[in-house]
Amino acid sequence: MAHPFFANSGKLSILAGAQIGISEEDARILRGLRSGIEGAYEELIERYEQQIFGMVYRLVGNQSDACDVVQEVFLKVFRGVTAFREQSSLRTWIYRIAVNEAYNHRRWFVRHCRMEVPMEETRSEHPNSLDYTPDPGRSPFEQAMDNETRTLIEVALTRINPVFRTAVVLRDVQNLSYEEIADILQVSLGTVKSRILRGREALRRELTQRPDQGLAEAMA
Amino acid sequence: MTCWSVNRRITDYVDGLLKGSELARVAAHLRRCGNCEARIQDLGSVRSSLRQLPKAKSPSQVRTRLRVIASQERTLILEADGSRLLLSWNHWKFRMQQLMRPFTIPATGGLCSSLVLFGALAFTIGNTTRGVAYEVPVFAPASIDANLVPVELRSSIVLTLSLDGNGRITDYAFRNDTHSVQGDPATLQYHNLSVPDIPSVMALAQPVSSDIQISVTPMIFRR
Repeated sequence: MAHPFFANSGKLSILAGAQIGISEEDARILRGLRSGIEGAYEELIERYEQQIFGMVYRLVGNQSDACDVVQEVFLKVFRGVTAFREQSSLRTWIYRIAVNEAYNHRRWFVRHCRMEVPMEETRSEHPNSLDYTPDPGRSPFEQAMDNETRTLIEVALTRINPVFRTAVVLRDVQNLSYEEIADILQVSLGTVKSRILRGREALRRELTQRPDQGLAEAMA
Repeated sequence: MTCWSVNRRITDYVDGLLKGSELARVAAHLRRCGNCEARIQDLGSVRSSLRQLPKAKSPSQVRTRLRVIASQERTLILEADGSRLLLSWNHWKFRMQQLMRPFTIPATGGLCSSLVLFGALAFTIGNTTRGVAYEVPVFAPASIDANLVPVELRSSIVLTLSLDGNGRITDYAFRNDTHSVQGDPATLQYHNLSVPDIPSVMALAQPVSSDIQISVTPMIFRR
């Protein structure tokens, strides 16, 4: 089935050829973005919005900041598409921008807002402030335990070093391969594995130091 | 295989990526070493806990905002019509507009206020001076010696000045813990002083008839 935006190619080049580093599908989206074709923008948003938001949310730790960062990420993607040299896949490139934006946002936050006290309640008081896809096979009690466990893990995640947190989120939450993570973070495979290990160990220490009742569930 | 060797392969082992002889050797070590086995169990638990975290769903307004951004960027690209220079210029222009927009109203308000205030006061500012209608007494020592050395501080003295409606001293008195002295206004020497000509300030401030009390600590000097 032909993609919608091929119907009005406009200035779109008919010759489709995969560049080195990107797939044919990525090349098609890039051509559409560079030509100002509306369908290309919609497809990019459709494909990457949820996964980028999910990753950024785990990195920055709260919903409103994640929304802001995601907007910045896509703005940079739209603006940078003409300068993108296609030496990596489109996904890798977008993830790389997202990681850097999340890191920059955290740096700005630490520098300017560290002493501020938030007016809204913290996540630990309202763990269900963000929407999640519910599991229909769980009982209400099990869902309550799941929520508590999830909160413990999320809080522990915000407490570990951001460098290790990034590696752990990319591997264990986003389920990316070591090679992809190395490409995104522009480090070696050995460094990726080392950061993942240290991130997991930091999480283990965070979770075992807290004498909360739900801790055993978190580690189960 | 040693614990150190296992440590180098621990991430691959936990992620299930070890194969063949390496996997067998690590497994054999774990059967012998309780510490490594416990550590790998914990790391495996952390990994599975993270994998069970549900996917965070983005709020609907994020999609809307992204579409707005996409529409704006698409407009800039179409306006540039293939020219990279024009596209860069449009991006820069858009960025500046977005940057300055929050400041436009307060900046305009500030500028207008400044103009009004300056315009109201500009005619009142002058660099001329005039002699005041009231005179101010100046207390000066009979002689000033640069070789004077401070030797003693005495107990505080309170000086009370009575002023009339023109700011002129009509009476004065000194007192300390043990004594009090009533002054003789006839002995005061008055000198005219010059003050800047600021009618708007003088319109707001006028001398009033009242008493002023000043506490001084005398210092005794010797040559």
